[in-house]
Amino acid sequence: MDLKERVCGELQKEVPKGASFTNFNTQHQQKWEDPSSTSDYSTRIEPPFQAFNQTSQTQSLLLCNNQIKVPMQDGSVNDLLQASKIQDWDPSAMLNNLSFLGQKIHQLQDLVYLIIGRKGQVLGGPDELLVQQQQLVTADLTSIIVQLISTAGSLLPSVKQTLSAATTSLGQCGEFGGVVFPSSAQGLNDGVQPQNAGGSKVSEPPNSVDITSNNGNEQSNHIIEEHELKDEEDAEEGENLLPGTYEILQLEKEEILAPHTHFCTICGKGFKRDANLRMHMRGHGEEYKTPGALAKPTKESSSEPTIIKRYSCPYAGCKRNKDHKKFQPLKTILCVKNHYKRTHCDKSYICSRCNTKKFSVIADLKTHEKHCGKDKWLCSCGTTFSRKDKLFGHITLFQGHTPAIPSDEIKAAPAGTSDGATNKVGSVNFNLSSYVSSESEVQSSSMDIKGGIDDAVGYFSPLSFDTCNFGGFHEFPRPPFDDSESSFAFLLSRSCNYSQKSGEE
Amino acid sequence: MLSFQSSKNLLSLTEDLLVRIYELLAAESDRKSFRLVCREFRRIDTLTRRHLRVIRIEFLPILLRKYPRLQSLDLSACPRIDDGVVSLLLTRVGPGSNSPILGHWAWGLKSLVLSRATGLRFSGLEMLARACPCLESVDVSYCCGFGDREAAALSSAVGLRELNMDKCLQLTDVGLAKIAVGCSKLEKLSLKWCMEMTDLGIDLLCKKCVDLKYLDVSYLKVTNESLHSIASLLKLEVLGLMACPLIDDVGLHFIERGCPSLKVIDVSRCEGVSSSGLIFVVRGHRNLLELKAGYCLSELSTALLHQMKNLNHLEVIRIDGARISETSFQVISANCKSLVEIGLSKCLGVTNMGIMRLVSACINLRVLNLTCCHSITDAAISAIAYSCRSLVCLKVESCNMITEKGLCQLGSFCLLLEEIDLTDCCGVNDKGLEYLSRCSELSCLKLGLCTNISNKGLSYIGFNCLKIHELDLYRCTGIGDDGLEALSNGCKKLRKLNLSYCNEVSDRGLGYIGRLEELSDLEMRALHKITGVGLEAVAVGCKRLADLDMKHCEKVGDSGFWALAYYSKNLRQINLSYCGISDMALCMVMGNLSRLQEAKLVHLSNCTVEGVELALRACCVRIKKVKLFAPLRFMLSSEILEILHARGCIIRWD
Repeated sequence: MDLKERVCGELQKEVPKGASFTNFNTQHQQKWEDPSSTSDYSTRIEPPFQAFNQTSQTQSLLLCNNQIKVPMQDGSVNDLLQASKIQDWDPSAMLNNLSFLGQKIHQLQDLVYLIIGRKGQVLGGPDELLVQQQQLVTADLTSIIVQLISTAGSLLPSVKQTLSAATTSLGQCGEFGGVVFPSSAQGLNDGVQPQNAGGSKVSEPPNSVDITSNNGNEQSNHIIEEHELKDEEDAEEGENLLPGTYEILQLEKEEILAPHTHFCTICGKGFKRDANLRMHMRGHGEEYKTPGALAKPTKESSSEPTIIKRYSCPYAGCKRNKDHKKFQPLKTILCVKNHYKRTHCDKSYICSRCNTKKFSVIADLKTHEKHCGKDKWLCSCGTTFSRKDKLFGHITLFQGHTPAIPSDEIKAAPAGTSDGATNKVGSVNFNLSSYVSSESEVQSSSMDIKGGIDDAVGYFSPLSFDTCNFGGFHEFPRPPFDDSESSFAFLLSRSCNYSQKSGEE
Repeated sequence: MLSFQSSKNLLSLTEDLLVRIYELLAAESDRKSFRLVCREFRRIDTLTRRHLRVIRIEFLPILLRKYPRLQSLDLSACPRIDDGVVSLLLTRVGPGSNSPILGHWAWGLKSLVLSRATGLRFSGLEMLARACPCLESVDVSYCCGFGDREAAALSSAVGLRELNMDKCLQLTDVGLAKIAVGCSKLEKLSLKWCMEMTDLGIDLLCKKCVDLKYLDVSYLKVTNESLHSIASLLKLEVLGLMACPLIDDVGLHFIERGCPSLKVIDVSRCEGVSSSGLIFVVRGHRNLLELKAGYCLSELSTALLHQMKNLNHLEVIRIDGARISETSFQVISANCKSLVEIGLSKCLGVTNMGIMRLVSACINLRVLNLTCCHSITDAAISAIAYSCRSLVCLKVESCNMITEKGLCQLGSFCLLLEEIDLTDCCGVNDKGLEYLSRCSELSCLKLGLCTNISNKGLSYIGFNCLKIHELDLYRCTGIGDDGLEALSNGCKKLRKLNLSYCNEVSDRGLGYIGRLEELSDLEMRALHKITGVGLEAVAVGCKRLADLDMKHCEKVGDSGFWALAYYSKNLRQINLSYCGISDMALCMVMGNLSRLQEAKLVHLSNCTVEGVELALRACCVRIKKVKLFAPLRFMLSSEILEILHARGCIIRWD
């Protein structure tokens, strides 16, 4: 929290001076002339802008109704502004943070009191209410825990460096954005836009001065963000933004992993989407039901020129990290989140069906579970495919690979039929002990056929076949002719006498 | 009888000369006579024999031992072949086999015909495929139960070049992929009626088997995507697309640009194909030899005709069912001079003048199909006879205006004529047959519904056309016993005879039929005069009888059927519907005829359910197809139905 505001302070300090702008511009040109100076450029100049844009961006994303907290935080902001240059751990900032947390805990306390008080009054649907209350408290507690962790995180040695200090502040900025930022904005603008909470664009001065031509781009970017499209990280792979034409923002690990980014200023409940928060706010009073309060906050400021924002992964050495030689920025916060979780986090979600596939993004797991078990297209190499055309593409590509026929089919189709039925056939028609009564026997080992030459005779000879055949009549469940035996015997003697013809044509 | 001198001369012939003589004997009966001459000749037969078609499986082990140099084995007539038989054959060959090497016969085998071997399953098939290292050609057509496992088994025959999988109904893309990957040398593949096949399988096939020269995907529900894949086959010469409902002109557009070696294309009965699609094909393939487009064109359009001018090598064209104008004939005859076969069956607009123009230039014509071209008369036939001296086959079914004059011309000029279809030509009379009998090469004569012919006319045929092997006398009510007598005296080679509804034929006539030793197919529906005596004569005399249809022969008694059961050991198909056969006789027929594969047993008034059940039990190991009275479905025991199903038998309920 302190860090974030410190950055804002930094920003405020630099912006009026105009120094950073000149500086930026020179760096900018330098960058164009000599790409090798990229790292220098990004480390020295970029953080303030990055931080700045991040804040503006979160602000634009979130509708923050923070009026309650604003007065409370004004003082601390001013304090912070003075101490903003300090890069190391700042006890006063920490104190600030803790006092904020204390306040939140008090709020939660009040809420619980309120719940206890209401309990007697509410008549209908007590269960439902209880659940809601429980959810509220849980959400509040979660947000407090997260904030506590991130405050403690600022004490870690790794974040004591200049650069990461700035980015840590960003992380917190994103996390508390909805809650805290407007107050600092007010501090920044010093009453220019005093009560225009939430929707106010803090970033006017730098943007209007610097990059105006990217307005259109920025617009489209906003649309994407607002709809929270599941942008794949690689989606912007083809995008060829020249370095320097966009701002690089870097969220901190904690912020990326935070479950919620939007918090209700009244009850503290966390939300993943601002729209959901806005819907939630309606329950807190009539004033939140106005079209203005319910409208998307970015719409009103859409005409103002903005700068393209791209995101950097906080993981050092990652291709998505801005320090990487072939840095490829991420397009949206969602991209950052998914990228970070997928690439740098443990895959803690395991598919319950197959118990093999692991995911770090729960949405990926859900997508997988939809198709898990449907991978019936199997290649001889062991690879499975959910779609036949994918399997066939694979087979086309790799020499010698063939589709595998599932093994359960072996038992089902031929053996199953032959086991049952052919056995019957054998028992009905072939009484020779040597006859191979079941096909499965033959299948298991072609060499394992009992007996000697007689077997083959029994198998092939029409005479012995027919003999058994008619002998087998006795075994029929319903022998219709009682006196049939004699007549058949007579017939057989004739048919035996019938000269055997050669079997060729 | 050979004199002493000549027999000495014969024996002085060296072995290789005898082998040469033997190899010149085309007909199986001649070869049989050859090997019966003496031991030495029989030894030559044993050593030289390459092909074996087995009709009685019980002799298979002995035969396989006897002929060690077999290259081609045809087991399509063995209904009882299954995995166990294959296993035994490969384990030891016959009783007293002194050959220590297992399955020695299989080593040199190149061709294997297992058509309709419905008892066989993948394990047997795999044993065969592995035992025959030289296998190049396999035919498993009409093995309806065959699917992916069987295809996988076949794919272990790596050297396979030709494969026929028509009507392997369970085959899917997966099985085809197995074959495509395993048998990459495949040159000829037929997949007719493999209804599960989709574009994916065909696409993979075209990518893996680039040497394909012949591909038949007729009746499949494949789309233009498949044609896109097929177009990439550089060596493809023959492409069969008959009755593919989802293929249209767009697909043929791919063919225009692909398949550079294409020689033959068949798009008959493709509903989506129009003349513009054919224009694509013709435009892309100037060297096309055969264009078969029956029943897919409504009209032979001028645009298509214009493109066809460039097909100078075209030998076969079939445009059955299309409307065609007289000028079109002019264009075809002027440009396609090498035409050998023209199919104009059911074409509209075929006139005498058109035919005259056509044949004026196409003098090499050998096959002409004018079925249902009702307006042609003797003038057209005369023109054909005069121009096309090498005509071999002429089909003029339902051309009512043909009379003895036309046949006279044919008998005078077309002396090479082998096949003529005069079904439903009521202008044909005894005099016409007299003229026609001058065509001594005639082997197939169809006179169905020609009610104006009598015994006299048939006697001309019996006297002159000694090579006839197929004769259709369906509903020739003028034919009686005397005609059959003349026939049996002359046409000793007769293999297929249809006497259905020739009411005059009696037991005496069937007695003459019994003299035809070569007869294998006999259809004699509704001969009300015949009794068991006649049937016995046929059964005793026609030893090769394989297909007998005697539906509605109600007077035939059990004595005839018993004779049938004793003597007609080679019978494969029988139709006994509406016959007065008793339970006992049915059991005897079904049980004793060890080669029987198909039986139609509908409306057997003297039979009980138990009798039918017993009969089915007696034949269930080998029967492949049986047609039964529908209510029996619920009366027969489920056990027998299961057994039949397990053996791959198809039951049709009527």
